[in-house]
Amino acid sequence: MIKIENLSKDLGEFFLKDVSIEINESEYFMLLGPTGAGKTILLEIIAGVYRPDKGRVFINGRDITFLPLRERNVGMVYQDYMLFPHLTVEGNIRFGLRSTKASEKDIKTKVNELANMLGISHLQHRYPGTLSGGEQQRVAIARALIMEPEVLLLDEPLSALDSETKSRLREEMRRIHSITRTTVVHVTHSFDEAFLLGSQMAVMNQGEIIQVGEPSEVFRKPNSKFVANFLGVGNLFRGRAVSENGITYVDVDGISIISSTPKHGQVYVSIRPEDILVSLKPIESSARNVFQGKIQDIVDTGSVLRIKVDVGVPFIVAITKRSLDDLYLKEGVSINLTFKATAVHLF
Amino acid sequence: MNRVIPPTTKRQKTSKFKATTLCFGIVLTIFIVSLLICVIAHTTPQALLASVLSSEIQFAIRLSLVTSIASTVLCIVLAVPAAYALARYNFRGKNLLNTILDVPLALPPLVAGVGLLILFGTTSFGNALSEAGIDFVFTPQGIIVAQFFVNLPFMFRIMRSTFQGINPRYEYVAQTLGNTEAQAFWRVTLPMARNGLVAGSVITWARGIGEFGAALMLAGATRLKTETLPISLYLNMSIGELNLAIATATILIAISLVSLFFFERYSGSSHVF
Repeated sequence: MIKIENLSKDLGEFFLKDVSIEINESEYFMLLGPTGAGKTILLEIIAGVYRPDKGRVFINGRDITFLPLRERNVGMVYQDYMLFPHLTVEGNIRFGLRSTKASEKDIKTKVNELANMLGISHLQHRYPGTLSGGEQQRVAIARALIMEPEVLLLDEPLSALDSETKSRLREEMRRIHSITRTTVVHVTHSFDEAFLLGSQMAVMNQGEIIQVGEPSEVFRKPNSKFVANFLGVGNLFRGRAVSENGITYVDVDGISIISSTPKHGQVYVSIRPEDILVSLKPIESSARNVFQGKIQDIVDTGSVLRIKVDVGVPFIVAITKRSLDDLYLKEGVSINLTFKATAVHLF
Repeated sequence: MNRVIPPTTKRQKTSKFKATTLCFGIVLTIFIVSLLICVIAHTTPQALLASVLSSEIQFAIRLSLVTSIASTVLCIVLAVPAAYALARYNFRGKNLLNTILDVPLALPPLVAGVGLLILFGTTSFGNALSEAGIDFVFTPQGIIVAQFFVNLPFMFRIMRSTFQGINPRYEYVAQTLGNTEAQAFWRVTLPMARNGLVAGSVITWARGIGEFGAALMLAGATRLKTETLPISLYLNMSIGELNLAIATATILIAISLVSLFFFERYSGSSHVF
């Protein structure tokens, strides 16, 4: 378990203000926030790169606030991999065992085991400069895991990769976590990543933790305007997708949503509240999705209002105050929601 | 109406400006090459060989090699840690330290030599060293110290720039993998700085071979005692032994060209100035 108490650090451009957080053992914890939110400093303070100005850090009850990096038993993986260019893949993976008394035979076994687990056995004699981004990231993860760290810190490990490699490595991360059960703190600015990997997540902004919780819960009940805006999407459902003739039908609790993204099987569906058109009568248009429902709730969030509509599943729709007045909308009124198949994002 | 531009068969003329500036480049190149040829072609190959094999030149070659290698090693040992500190850490007075470490670069070598002579010859510090048997005044050891002092900024600047170019996160990762700061430096940073180290060593060594002014002041110009290649050139020139002087000059040219080649090859991203 990682326990962070009232942590503050000022590095000028980047800073943390009174951050407290608890991360359970074996958790896959996502740290989400915009650039400059202080995510990386938080990670680097846990790793021991910086000493906090104030506050304490505990791992499994041990106060590590002022311990040198090597005594923390924490693994670190950076976005740019930071593989040692003068060593082969094997040399990189076994690097951490040089300072231990492990026998050559044990080291070999462990290196092979990890290389197999990450699918990089065939690359062991190559140098990092000759590897693709995805391969380098696997090596960096193997290099960290060989120390059997109590905590694995990942600083935007997927950001530098193309989308296909990204989704493959994301699955890999999930699998590795289910095998090792190491506590993971994973920094990202991508909500998809947080949602697909995290069992818990924290949203950070300007050096502060804004909200902590399960991703779906944070998503459904953002505690502030910042979180709602940062996460962007207000409609997120789980469903089963079937693709036919380039059109995907997603069954979500009995209603069928049409998407232009080809996907099969279990998916998450997201639709931005701004992309949904509200009308009193059904309108004829090219948009493939039309649903009818009653307004349940109207929330004023400034210039734009968010209204909750029950069409079998709860939808959030964003409209202007002017539209609300012109259409005489209020709670209990029955309205139609229309949106295009291209506005339906599947992941 | 569109005017049709006739296709031109003539090659585009080189601009006057380009031609003029290029001329300057060519003239300078000719100047340098002719100078080198003048020195090498001044004597016959037989006379050159005989001079190189003479006991005096042999002594000068040996002394130059020993002193320049010793001073280069000294520069590595002392400048590398200093360069690392100034590349990595922030502290009060850092700018001042950086400036002072560059001073020998701007100082005329003769002035540096006078300073060294006074420090080691007249102060109680110098006397104490002398009594302990470490004498730098008018001795071959003095040549090493002179070369070290004058060439220190080169090694220092190249290594500082090299370390600045290496992301400290490599060291952080190495430390999370069970290494102390010193181990991370030895196992990661220094191997990654290899090219900078080679380039710095080559330039320091080549300059050490050619060092004259400061060495002349501190170690003097005693035939077959403190007679390095440049000192030998100076001594033989002044008594009209032209063949011996040309021989040393030719050797010095060869060393310069070879070391320039290595420096260009390894210096890569590090900057001396």
